[in-house]
Amino acid sequence: MLEKQYREMLNKCSRCGGCQAHCPLYTETGREPYVARGKVELIENLQGGNLEWNDRLAEIFSTCLLCGSCSENCPNGVEVDKMVRAARKDLVAARGLPIIKKNVFQHLLKYNGRLKTIGKLLAFYQKSGLQKVLRGTGILKLFPMKLAEKERILPRISGKAFRDSFPAKTGLDNPKLKVAYFTGCVTNLVTPQVGASVLKVLSSNNVEVIIPVQYCCGVPALASGEMEVAKFLAAENIKYFKSLDVDYIVMDCATCFSTWLEYPELLKSEDASQLAKKVMDINIFLVEILDIKLEPRNLGIKVTYHDPCHLKRTPGGKSSPRELLKRLSPCYEYVELELADRCCGSAGSFNLTHYDLSQKVAMHKVDSIANSKAEIVASACPSCIMQLNHSLQNSGSKVEAKHVIELVAECIESDE
Amino acid sequence: MDKKIINQVINIVGPENVLTDNEERICYSYDGTFKRGIPDIVVFPGNTQEVVSIIKLANSEKIPVFPRGAGTGLSGGSIPQANGIALVMTKMNKIKEINENDLLAVVEPGVITGHLHQEVEKLNLFYPPDPASLKTCTMGGNIAENAGGPRAFKYGVTRDYVLGLEVVTPTGKVMRTGGRTVKNVTGYDLTRLLTGSEGTLGVITEITVRLIPKPKYKKTALVIFDNLDDAAKTVTVVISEGVIPATLELMDRITIACVEKNTKLGLPLDAEAILLMEVDGSDAQTTEEINIIQNICKKNNCRRIEVASTFEEREKLWKARRAVSSAIVQLKPTKISEDATVPRSKIPEMIRRLREIATKYNLNLPVFGHAGDGNLHPNIIADKSDKEEMERVEKAVSEIFEAALELGGTLSGEHGVGIMKKPYLEWELGEVGLEYLKTIKKAVDPNNILNPGKIF
Ligand SMILES: Cc1cc2nc3c(=O)[nH]c(=O)nc-3n(C[C@H](O)[C@H](O)[C@H](O)COP(=O)(O)OP(=O)(O)OC[C@H]3O[C@@H](n4cnc5c(N)ncnc54)[C@H](O)[C@@H]3O)c2cc1C
Ligand code: SF4
Ligand code: SF4
Repeated sequence: MLEKQYREMLNKCSRCGGCQAHCPLYTETGREPYVARGKVELIENLQGGNLEWNDRLAEIFSTCLLCGSCSENCPNGVEVDKMVRAARKDLVAARGLPIIKKNVFQHLLKYNGRLKTIGKLLAFYQKSGLQKVLRGTGILKLFPMKLAEKERILPRISGKAFRDSFPAKTGLDNPKLKVAYFTGCVTNLVTPQVGASVLKVLSSNNVEVIIPVQYCCGVPALASGEMEVAKFLAAENIKYFKSLDVDYIVMDCATCFSTWLEYPELLKSEDASQLAKKVMDINIFLVEILDIKLEPRNLGIKVTYHDPCHLKRTPGGKSSPRELLKRLSPCYEYVELELADRCCGSAGSFNLTHYDLSQKVAMHKVDSIANSKAEIVASACPSCIMQLNHSLQNSGSKVEAKHVIELVAECIESDE
Repeated sequence: MDKKIINQVINIVGPENVLTDNEERICYSYDGTFKRGIPDIVVFPGNTQEVVSIIKLANSEKIPVFPRGAGTGLSGGSIPQANGIALVMTKMNKIKEINENDLLAVVEPGVITGHLHQEVEKLNLFYPPDPASLKTCTMGGNIAENAGGPRAFKYGVTRDYVLGLEVVTPTGKVMRTGGRTVKNVTGYDLTRLLTGSEGTLGVITEITVRLIPKPKYKKTALVIFDNLDDAAKTVTVVISEGVIPATLELMDRITIACVEKNTKLGLPLDAEAILLMEVDGSDAQTTEEINIIQNICKKNNCRRIEVASTFEEREKLWKARRAVSSAIVQLKPTKISEDATVPRSKIPEMIRRLREIATKYNLNLPVFGHAGDGNLHPNIIADKSDKEEMERVEKAVSEIFEAALELGGTLSGEHGVGIMKKPYLEWELGEVGLEYLKTIKKAVDPNNILNPGKIF
């Protein structure tokens, strides 16, 4: 049964069809089941008992980017992305099955049946490296694309995890602020240079950084309706962060950031509410809290910016990264991207499970990047950055996607 | 549906353009109303020839066909009545030609109206019809419903821009009507007959529309009135002074209250009406016209008037109007959008009657709409899960229609009859008029294949 708030929303949808103009998947498919309105109708039929969960419905409900573009533009305030997530949860409850059988996350859980706790599993998952695990399990066979494409889109796990390479504290003498850094899985395992950039920028601005023990933020579980797993991970993270004496909790991953903001609703705990108030995206932190000054050299490289879905709706989430990039002038010359806030199609594991559709969505991004004439496309979410790099390569483009913080770090003279 | 027939359909359009799963068909059971009807099969034709083959098959197998565009209709026009085929035209979405010399565009029916606007405006041309759904609705749907929009008062409705059509008849033959000229009196005016035929007389497969040069400047005024009659008088005087605003939108007190509650724009809650007027044309003309409007408003006791000419400032004034749709559904979730229309001079009287009806049936009934052409949009805001309330809604709707007709108006200004207004059609057309419509339908669609159960 859908929660009350979503049942009420169901009534609000007037089937006006306005979401057709905003849903990236409707643009590609032209089919109603893949637009917000169709999903609302299906949910209503599920609620009314006219439909029961089956494979076809599971497939339809897995085909959503959760990008929130429909919700943002709905004249009636219907939040379909949240309803889709609630429906996925409903599906898991009804069938005890994941939203799509091919879900990476679930397969890892299944494959590692001998590991007793999820915590252990994640430690294993993190230590062994995603790629190795994936190859070993034969999961790769499940995805619909060619082997070469699979190999390229899967993250190349860095030799040494970020959190194993850096001390748990930067230890400054007289820091003006203290922050805890939630690194997220991608920065930790795939792009440690992003984490190094965060440390460099914060240290050079006299901010002490603590990197506590931490787990995955839980978004893969949340997005596929695995609420118990998501709650477990959220509670673990809260446990490790709550006793810290810090002013803020910063993150470079827009997705982790938005997940942390949902912890209070997920856990319904006072600790979670308190901590959520401290959580801050690194871009917003640098602009609104530190108001950092930069003195960049003149390189005159054109850079543009892609809005991650999980950052753009936060106050300051659109302006802060742009503000930072503008402060990098003349080192980087900022140009705005057409349709900068359109989803890149990454959406967690969507780019694996629905590879072709995801690439079609991404190609609009690649086109507008080409039109911008930028040499670098910056963003603020490691998953978007991986997706952008993959699809840029697919199209033979020379443009590179990087995290904003990497560009900022480049413009700071290192004291070492 | 018979497996054999499904296979024949698949042979015509290809398997990727046919949907048969229950879960998918349910997603083609609705439009912008709360009516429902699930098709047996959903088909996406890619060209005229495929449409012809489908219609021929439907005739030989006696299966009803329900043409559908984007499904934004507000009268249930695309909703399947007795199962049958949902014929979705969205795949035929090419703009075939924009001709700057002949001032016309040729498009396929699935082209989204807003896309056509963008493309012609790039060339400094203008396609005026602007239904509020323009970002999603299709040109085919616009022709079939003869859609209007806020600009209709100055520029006219869809019908005034259609030069010619290619149509697949209900028996599966291809017919061309009209042409590429503004003047054309050869034979009956079939283009006009098909425009507004709601998918019952033919499937539109190609559309030729007239374009005009794009007006260069716009100026906007937002005017607040303490008294509804003053607002109505202002409208009349503005027009008799020779100013034809491109937009002339009215919001009543209930609408103002909803918008203010939602947006906190600082709108006065004790005002009886707000008028939003926009003039377009050359710089000199718009300056002169907005001055005339200002003077008239002042003479007619407006409380406050704000005028804007830059894009950003104009957008600020539009904010209240744009916020209406989302604001009113905060009252209750179900919106029943009516579009009964009255002669302009009867607007204040109609609004008074609407208020009486709202009080009588204890319903939320904000009124906002196109004051220039009397196309008020009384919206009943209710809760469709409340049976008792929906019964009151039904009674109120029928009294609204009665009132509009009594004042010399019409049941529908732009949304069409579909299934929603079917029961009332005879009130307006009379027995003879209704019979005339039915005779035409029977003559061109002897097997009653195309969109049966609609209009009458
Ligand atoms: C938020 C909102 C605002 C709106 N604002 C306005 C407005 O300002 N003015 C206005 O006039 N309307 C308005 N409408 C109503 C609606 O958008 C119009 O009626 C529009 O023309 C419908 O187009 P569609 O493509 O959605 O057609 P559909 O709803 O799919 O179909 C409408 C009718 O057209 C027929 N049809 C569709 N395509 C074809 C074809 N190729 N050949 C033959 N028949 C066909 C269908 O059978 C049906 O009878 C609004 C609707 C919404 C939801
Ligand atoms: S989700 Fe919103 S935009 Fe989409 S049909 Fe429903 S009300 Fe309209
Ligand atoms: S969340 Fe994104 S992909 Fe999903 S229905 Fe909404 S707009 Fe479409």
